[in-house]
Amino acid sequence: MTDVFFTPKQLELQRKVKEFTEKHIIPVAREYDESGEYPEWVFKEAHKAGLNCLVIPEEYGGPGYDSLAVGLAVEEWGYGCAGFATGLSANGLASYPLAIAGTEKQKQLYYSRLVAGGKGCFALTEPGAGSDAGAVSTVAKLEGEEWVLNGTKCFATQGGYADIYVIFASTDLSKGAKGLSAFIVEREREGLAVGAVEHKMGIRASNTVELQLKNVRIPKDHLLGQEGEGMKIAIKTLDMARPIVAAMSVGVARRALDEAIKYVKTQLDAEGKSLAEHQSVGFKIADMATQIEAARLLVYHCLRLKDSGQPYSKEAAMAKMFATETAMKVTRDAVELMGSYGYSQDSIVEKLMRDAKITQIYEGTNQVQRIVISGQLLK
Amino acid sequence: MRYGLTEEQDLIKQSAREFAEEYIKPKAAEIDHNATHPAEIFTKLAEYDYLGLYFPEEYGGSNAGFLSFALIVEELAKYSGSVASILINHSAKAAYALNQWGTEEQKETYLPALIKGEKLGAFALNEVGAACGIGPNKVVATKQNDDSYVLSERKAYVANGGAADVYIILATTLSEGGKENLSAFIVEANTPGLTVGKITKTMGLRGCRFAEIVLEQVIVPADNRLGYEGLGAKIISETLDVASIAQGAQVVGIAQAALEETLRYSKERVQFGKPINTFPAIQNMLAEMAANIHLLRLGVYHAAQLVEKGDPFNLEAAIVKLNAARTGQSALIDAIQVQGGYGYSEEMVVSRLFRDINGCILKDSSHEFPEQKIAAEILV
Repeated sequence: MTDVFFTPKQLELQRKVKEFTEKHIIPVAREYDESGEYPEWVFKEAHKAGLNCLVIPEEYGGPGYDSLAVGLAVEEWGYGCAGFATGLSANGLASYPLAIAGTEKQKQLYYSRLVAGGKGCFALTEPGAGSDAGAVSTVAKLEGEEWVLNGTKCFATQGGYADIYVIFASTDLSKGAKGLSAFIVEREREGLAVGAVEHKMGIRASNTVELQLKNVRIPKDHLLGQEGEGMKIAIKTLDMARPIVAAMSVGVARRALDEAIKYVKTQLDAEGKSLAEHQSVGFKIADMATQIEAARLLVYHCLRLKDSGQPYSKEAAMAKMFATETAMKVTRDAVELMGSYGYSQDSIVEKLMRDAKITQIYEGTNQVQRIVISGQLLK
Repeated sequence: MRYGLTEEQDLIKQSAREFAEEYIKPKAAEIDHNATHPAEIFTKLAEYDYLGLYFPEEYGGSNAGFLSFALIVEELAKYSGSVASILINHSAKAAYALNQWGTEEQKETYLPALIKGEKLGAFALNEVGAACGIGPNKVVATKQNDDSYVLSERKAYVANGGAADVYIILATTLSEGGKENLSAFIVEANTPGLTVGKITKTMGLRGCRFAEIVLEQVIVPADNRLGYEGLGAKIISETLDVASIAQGAQVVGIAQAALEETLRYSKERVQFGKPINTFPAIQNMLAEMAANIHLLRLGVYHAAQLVEKGDPFNLEAAIVKLNAARTGQSALIDAIQVQGGYGYSEEMVVSRLFRDINGCILKDSSHEFPEQKIAAEILV
């Protein structure tokens, strides 16, 4: 879609990522879906192409793209494969806490690793703390000049391969969510271990792991923001990440629509008419396309609000919820339209449908999005 | 909830549940993972007389009616959608067509073996492309003489394909006026020229594989034609209607299993200091699943009774198909939603149920919306 309101820099990134996706992702997406292996090489390619840490500002050696440009990029990755997209955008997610609360020194430390081709990981969720992030039971205790972290994190995206982490731990369990704090933890810190790898129904090319922390000692200055500000940092991070997940979902949905269109235009019915000539098919395609367009506009609108410094938390939740519901619905419609072929692994749409399901769950389930939206409207 | 089943039907359902608990439950994950035809389970289904449940006693069946068959499909599907699919393709497609349109001789030759589980049946309809009889690889049956036909080209996405011993193959024939029509043929797997081509991987129902059946100059005796030349379209539409009622029962079973798993999970999972089943948002999803499953089950039982009585059932079958697609998809999308990241894990049963249920509601041809079939019935 051409949009006269995009800047040349945004369009340039979109073009670059589209090429990257066509070259490196689309041809191998099925293979990695089947094997469930982590395509570490793609990060090296992304690094070479200058796409490994899109959100890091220029003064720290990053490309300094604005949020809308990042959204356009992740949409293209999502078009290629949501598993790859989840991994490739994980550095963004893992960088946001620094943008929100990092000191100059912390940013230098953290960003320099990513700029050099390293990988980041944002670790908030725990077995007992999903939607209820305040229930985090990993603890951090100050001992002299060091924080000592103990606990277990789960569903950590890219956790098995990361070089640097943002890990949330409680500095005061009695305060619940208000006792949560955020820490920078480097991979080489003793006591940090990667546990079980999650085998998922979809986004199988992304790495999702358990992290174990046993007496992990980090310097005092690795605390992000103040003690007790963890929840605030987590919420702001998720606000920033939601339109990006939404953009990825738009990409997934677009792919499903393109595949469905290709199919119905080339397949014939028993009378030799193309399926596309059937009104029921045409209307279904129209519905799919309209929902995608609406989702995409919610995403772009939200990212423009963010880039212009206006509040966007409600819009982020709306975009995330609507775009991910759209991805689920549109991928499902594509499988339905394509029958046995769509259900088989001869086509890509069955994978798109499995991949789409996670978008309704991560970065806050769509139930959490409804809490955010209604909370703002009803306060 | 009670559904006005007879005592016999209740017993059949109960025994199918026990059967599935004992023989299928321990193997269900493995069947999905291995993605091969579970021959030992098929043999067990035969031992328990499930393969011929609704067929006449003279061929070894139990004559227990189509509703009883649907009840069994529902119970088996709770534990393995793959096993239910194998049974549907065998009994509600291949054996159904044989029993319905076969000559006495054809029935005597094939039905007892299918019912005893000595042979596995498959209904080979699909071809590459959107519908049977139009693509570049359409299967054509050319009449050689009065005694035989020669079949050539390829069938695609044949469920039970590769494992089956007997195929009902739909093929294009030429009528006397030179017009193309469809006819059905009984072809044994060991017929010279018939080979199994590519086995296609699927999103789910992986124990009931899709295979390509390649036909190279396969000579089929005219005695193996099912019904008269040109009866193929009727055989397809009626068989698929019957199968879609059975698939409706399969969706009921899978969705019910998902609901039960989700009820259990939501009771155990604590967030914000209490079990998540205390939150209205979760309760609403559970309630909607339960309500939809109930309505679908009623529709399936009703349609199955029509089949059993010999009443017309095409409208009801299309309604089942429409509701099964809606209920099946929304139930599993919600079941995983309630279970969150855990539900998305391959280790949790709902992720398999999600993949499976989408295979039970496939349209046989992309442009054949059940809505259109319903409209065709109610507009007369």
